[in-house]
Amino acid sequence: MFSFDLHKRKILTVFLLLLFMWSLFGVHWQEGVMHSSGIGTAMEIFAAMFTPDLSLDILYLAAESSWLTIAYATAGMSLALVLALIIGILASGVLASGKHSRSFMKGSFRGVLGFMRAIHELVWAWLFVASFGLSPYAAIFALAIPYGGILGRIFADMINDVPEEPIQALRAAGASRLQCLFYGYLPSVKNSMISYTMYRYECAIRSSAIMSFVGLGGLGYQIQLSLDDLQYNEVWTFLYFLIIIVVFIDGWSNMLRRRMAQ
Amino acid sequence: MSEQNIIEMNQISKNYERKIALSSLSFVVEKGELIALIGPSGAGKTTLLNLLATILKPDGGELIIDGQPIQQYSDQKKRAKKIGIIRQQFDLVGQLAVIHNVLAGRLADWGFFKSFLSLFIPQEKQAATLALERVGLPDKLFERTSNLSGGEQQRVALARLLMQKPEIVLADEPVASLDPARAEDILNMLTKLAKEEQQTVIASLHSVEYARKYFTRLIALKNGELFFDLPADQVTDKQLQELYQLKELN
Repeated sequence: MFSFDLHKRKILTVFLLLLFMWSLFGVHWQEGVMHSSGIGTAMEIFAAMFTPDLSLDILYLAAESSWLTIAYATAGMSLALVLALIIGILASGVLASGKHSRSFMKGSFRGVLGFMRAIHELVWAWLFVASFGLSPYAAIFALAIPYGGILGRIFADMINDVPEEPIQALRAAGASRLQCLFYGYLPSVKNSMISYTMYRYECAIRSSAIMSFVGLGGLGYQIQLSLDDLQYNEVWTFLYFLIIIVVFIDGWSNMLRRRMAQ
Repeated sequence: MSEQNIIEMNQISKNYERKIALSSLSFVVEKGELIALIGPSGAGKTTLLNLLATILKPDGGELIIDGQPIQQYSDQKKRAKKIGIIRQQFDLVGQLAVIHNVLAGRLADWGFFKSFLSLFIPQEKQAATLALERVGLPDKLFERTSNLSGGEQQRVALARLLMQKPEIVLADEPVASLDPARAEDILNMLTKLAKEEQQTVIASLHSVEYARKYFTRLIALKNGELFFDLPADQVTDKQLQELYQLKELN
């Protein structure tokens, strides 16, 4: 049975490879894959990489927009974490007592989480800007909902993957479901939860930058304005600020992980 | 007389699908007995312990714990006061500090608020310290449990049982993953503490040598049936040989 499945997988791999090679015939090579003037613009943009605009005005603007981007991401992520903890724990089903109530809880709360993350943060941003106008709350909610959905789903999966033996031992010692949560499940997954949340925080910074394209202010908004003015040097200044923030958060999360491992 | 009997098993049977795990098993355990369950792999030792721990339900027969049918112990807080369990070392929450794993033995008596608070300000710390002293780990109170060795973790599990104070201790292969020196140390401690606390112990063991050395009564299972049930000093080598003998090919 097993070898048969393996065999079938190999056939699928060959089939997909053939399909890919066949698709190459669909490309019109002689007309050029890129727009003829596109190469020139691309060269200009990448040349500007080495000469970012370092004038005081732009640096000040970049710092201010970075602050806005970080603030949106942090506020959105904090709200997402609260949502994810509550809904994620419910979606793991460990608080339910019976078999039926457990699968009902798992199904319904996983459905809620699925709905939250099925819609991209940019779309949420459009929806909220349309309803609240250009307020910071639009950005924060737009981030918090899909990120809460993603985090909650991962938290629920982590809790479901906790080994059974220690939990059974706690039950045998007379612990209730809620006591098992705080003495068994949460301590077991705490470290992975923190490190995944830090990784998601890094993603939230990038999302927050992009989201400001809809007009909410922040690094993305400045990048868009500079691009429209063909000021590629300024674009790179903002991009470097974005990179610095992401690298900084990555370093912070590494530090946290190292401390937790002790 | 029946007040002395803490466990009464009457014609207990248990099947998995078509396979018979236990067939009409009957025996009586008196308070304070130290019993070792022995027998080849698949004889039904773990099934028997899981029935006693109410993890499994018997398919037939009756099981009486301290004068009450086992169905009366469906509430786990009530059950925890009667029956405690110790298994291999995977029983503890590795990421918690040792003291919290020990205090987990008190969760049956603690409400939610007290147990939650205890994770930040350990409650009944003195009792936990005392329990750890009795198992010989007085200085490991705030160590992360996963940093302890296998033998030390099993001592922590014993300290948790000391906090829980059940009347019956079920031990499922409690020393299976330990080297001989650690294994003897744990069995010695388990039986010594049980005597001090007047607990009844039923332990499944692979080693007949340990069973004879540390326990007062041996119950041997083979193919889900009682093979013999004798005081430890009356078991003969011939009986043991027959118990572990492989089926002869015809």
